[in-house]
Amino acid sequence: MNILVTGCSRGVGLKICEVLLAQGHTVYGVARSYTDEFKGLEAAYPGRLFFKSIDLASSGNVRETVFKEFITNKVQLDGFVNNAAMAYDDIITNLNVERLEEMFAVNVFTPMMLTKYAIRHMLLHKNKGSIVHISSISAHTGYKGLAMYASSKGALEAFSKNTAREWGALGIRSNVVVPGFMETAMSATLTDDQKDRIYKRTSLKAATSVESVAETVAFLLSEKAVSITGQNINVDNGTI
Amino acid sequence: MEQKVLEIINNIRATKDLAPVASLGNEDRLRDDLGLTSFDLAELTVNIEAEFDIDIFEDGLVNTVGEIYEKLQK
Repeated sequence: MNILVTGCSRGVGLKICEVLLAQGHTVYGVARSYTDEFKGLEAAYPGRLFFKSIDLASSGNVRETVFKEFITNKVQLDGFVNNAAMAYDDIITNLNVERLEEMFAVNVFTPMMLTKYAIRHMLLHKNKGSIVHISSISAHTGYKGLAMYASSKGALEAFSKNTAREWGALGIRSNVVVPGFMETAMSATLTDDQKDRIYKRTSLKAATSVESVAETVAFLLSEKAVSITGQNINVDNGTI
Repeated sequence: MEQKVLEIINNIRATKDLAPVASLGNEDRLRDDLGLTSFDLAELTVNIEAEFDIDIFEDGLVNTVGEIYEKLQK
């Protein structure tokens, strides 16, 4: 399969690329930075991993940058993993609208535009593709300081549910993986005490495994998940 | 160009078990006269875009064959 993965340069995105490559798929990765970790994967899987540096804050030109210059009409796109996201942490009384708009551009508007062109690509090739969005447990449980970030993930979840409903008749699936807190750059600003309090709210009392999240994404992309669409799959160590 | 649009429309009609149309008129309505649904119109758009590199739905709905020709001649 040919899969587009956004935010491929580190963390969960990088792990998703690694799992898909190990399964024999071809991955088209986009991210802002071209990291050494990603280059390492490219060296390990020559000819099956491609990279394009894209600023996902620019929602208006993804047709050009992603679909005309990178995944051309010659490529049959089988899956789209919307993983790229930015965090904007603050309490609501400090909310700054420019920062909010910038985060929504990256976390919601660009993913919606990428979904538009991914579906169009699937229509052109008449293939039954699978779309997977990465959300966050914060959209469901609530955490101090994450109201803005969590609301962007809530928007994605609603978008995915409606994508599934709208395009299901053509065999196109859309699902969301909802990870719990992981040890990634996204949560690096949290103190150990904050992390401990978060992990105490999980059944397994630990950070969510990045590998488990990536494996779930790969499963949802695969034929094994052919009857799963419109779902939110929690991979969160049993957050309560 | 008109021949290619006819071909694309007939390809979509064929997947719906509709007989091909021999020719297209400017006034032909995509939905009512040619039997295309919103999903068919999406397929029409992507196929026209692949052929002519123009997104006919980019700035609003297109209702007739003549409106498609207009967008492609711009």
